[in-house]
Amino acid sequence: MKKNLIRLAVFLLCAVLALSLFLPDGAKPFSLLLPRISPLLSFAGALGARRFAGCLCLFGVPLLLLAFFKQRWFCWHLCPMGFAAEMAGKLNKRGMGRIRRVPTLNKALALLVAGSAVAGYPLLLWLDPLCIFNGFFAAFRKPFLWTSCATAAGFVLILIVSVAVPNIWCHRLCPLGGLQELLGMPWKRFKSRKNAQKTASGNTPPSPLDTRASRRLFLGILGSGVAGAGARAALGGGGESSVLRPPGAVKRSFNALCARCGNCMRACPYGLLVPDLGKSGIDGLCTPVVAFRHLDPYQEQYCFQDCKACTEVCPTGALVPLTVEQKHKKPVGIAVVDQGKCVAWAEKQYCVVCQEYCPYQAVVEVERNGVMCPEIDAAKCRGCGACESACPADPIAIIVTPCPGGSGK
Amino acid sequence: MELQRREFIKAAVAAGTAPALAATGGKQATVVVVHGKDLAKMLNLGVAKLGGWGTFIHKGDKVAIKPNVAWYSTPAQGGNTAPELVRECVLQAEKAGAEKIDIPENPCSPEKKAFPQSGVQDALKGTKARLFRPSARDGYREVTVPKGKICKTAEVPNEILDADCVINMPVAKHHSGATLSLSMKNWMGSISNTTRRGWHRNGLHQCIADFSTFLKPKLVVIDASRIMLDHGPQGPGTLAYPNEVILSTDPVAADAYAATLFKLKPFDVGYIKLGHEMGIGCGDLSKIDIVRIEA
Repeated sequence: MKKNLIRLAVFLLCAVLALSLFLPDGAKPFSLLLPRISPLLSFAGALGARRFAGCLCLFGVPLLLLAFFKQRWFCWHLCPMGFAAEMAGKLNKRGMGRIRRVPTLNKALALLVAGSAVAGYPLLLWLDPLCIFNGFFAAFRKPFLWTSCATAAGFVLILIVSVAVPNIWCHRLCPLGGLQELLGMPWKRFKSRKNAQKTASGNTPPSPLDTRASRRLFLGILGSGVAGAGARAALGGGGESSVLRPPGAVKRSFNALCARCGNCMRACPYGLLVPDLGKSGIDGLCTPVVAFRHLDPYQEQYCFQDCKACTEVCPTGALVPLTVEQKHKKPVGIAVVDQGKCVAWAEKQYCVVCQEYCPYQAVVEVERNGVMCPEIDAAKCRGCGACESACPADPIAIIVTPCPGGSGK
Repeated sequence: MELQRREFIKAAVAAGTAPALAATGGKQATVVVVHGKDLAKMLNLGVAKLGGWGTFIHKGDKVAIKPNVAWYSTPAQGGNTAPELVRECVLQAEKAGAEKIDIPENPCSPEKKAFPQSGVQDALKGTKARLFRPSARDGYREVTVPKGKICKTAEVPNEILDADCVINMPVAKHHSGATLSLSMKNWMGSISNTTRRGWHRNGLHQCIADFSTFLKPKLVVIDASRIMLDHGPQGPGTLAYPNEVILSTDPVAADAYAATLFKLKPFDVGYIKLGHEMGIGCGDLSKIDIVRIEA
């Protein structure tokens, strides 16, 4: 009972932290901690992105060490997702036995994530429970959008599955749990062997079980490495050029590296980031894309030149932290003027509001029929969307489109 | 007693000087141009020439000031009205007994960035003035513009509509769409986004002039301490330093004089010409009495 009280307290604390993007700026760094302490996210992310600069993956070390000596102690005492799933399972007393018919997949899933991360394309990174927990809170944002609820689906799904088959998540599926079991194996074996030596002296030959397990482990890593490399070749490619990514987005393998935790979407002070619902491919579902315009017809919203909030909150390295100077050089996309819709080009109106709003002076005025008309200087445009959000034409005559080579330069 | 007497003298002087100024030599408007470095002092000298603060603000008045705080631009970059000028105006309004001082501004850059960067937010600390973005839901009221040719209705912040004294306090700068951003153009920074989008679509200069037939400020103060010559209205652009504050009760006349600082003729700017033609004020420099003061 006391243990459950502590778990409840931790659950609530995590929930408050996950929501803390609503708190003042000073409290925001704490909200990043939750997904970041998962070694699955931090190490697979760093491995997959091939980026260890900043040593962000070190946040995962404490849990890694804990797992080495204590196996799944974290799961049974602290994990907020595990607590919620277990409590959901308790609702269904009659379903308690069902789990016996489900095979244990958690270690295999952990191997798949790790192996494919080595190959540069971490698969199923979004199955991390801390990330799923965090994603639930991404739905609570201003302005509220139905699409932003997509990142909350994982949490709800786990609860539903847990009611149907109690304990299935923690005991059978959770890759973070599987990772901890794998990490704890050597120490556990070492201890049990020492105990065995104490009782029956003399050398015990390695049991056939040991060799079989390590062979399976080896094959598992090899297989998932191949799977990751294959997926990377098939899907990772160059930057996808069909969507607008946040400014810090890595060009390669973004869909794999993004864990769908929703941090960036909540961090954006202008509410510009929304989960993608299919434009970036089936493997890009729920990844963040930039959506300008019409959030609030009374207020222009664009990717403000000196803001870098989204780049600072990514737990995996799918978004690289940027300085303001670096951000000024990273295009989200590029603005394109439709001269047929533009009130200056088509109707000889004194407008060029796009030029007014452009913080990068990328809109060049050219005189036509005595009226100034806008053209885009591609070298200066960063696709911030100031022009698009302010364009008075109906329909809008200036639209940010993905850069030919994808977001980022 | 002392106070009352002073007020009486002020009012008497104001009543005496204002018509006297306007009447000189068949002139139709007066523009006071104060040259110097100390903006607060310059403002007070200029206002004194126009009759003193007492002419414009009375005890218990609701005052609305419209500086330009639209952009993420530092005071040195000249995208917004100088904070010293706004502060001094607020302090004088307080001294004159203003009950409420509102500065409703609908900036182009996000207000959380523009207001602090402009220096105006900090300059207002310790005063009772309130700088804010009107709420999209109930911050504006739709008004009709009876003399408007194109702009027939507009959404205007409540505080401007309800004020006893409205002071227009723009910064003079280049403007890509409207040639120059001066006092009449400055109202675009307070009206709602939907209204101003319509203006851009349907004849910007006429709409600017139309709106000035409706909204008549008691006092116009143009900050020309530094003026942006290109890349306006946001900047950063090339700056010139006339070191002037331009004051008038006639927005067209004030704008007409300010245009000369950019080496333009007043009627090169569409809305000044239209404003003159529509009789909003006098844009003909030969009929404007320009009073120069050195601070």
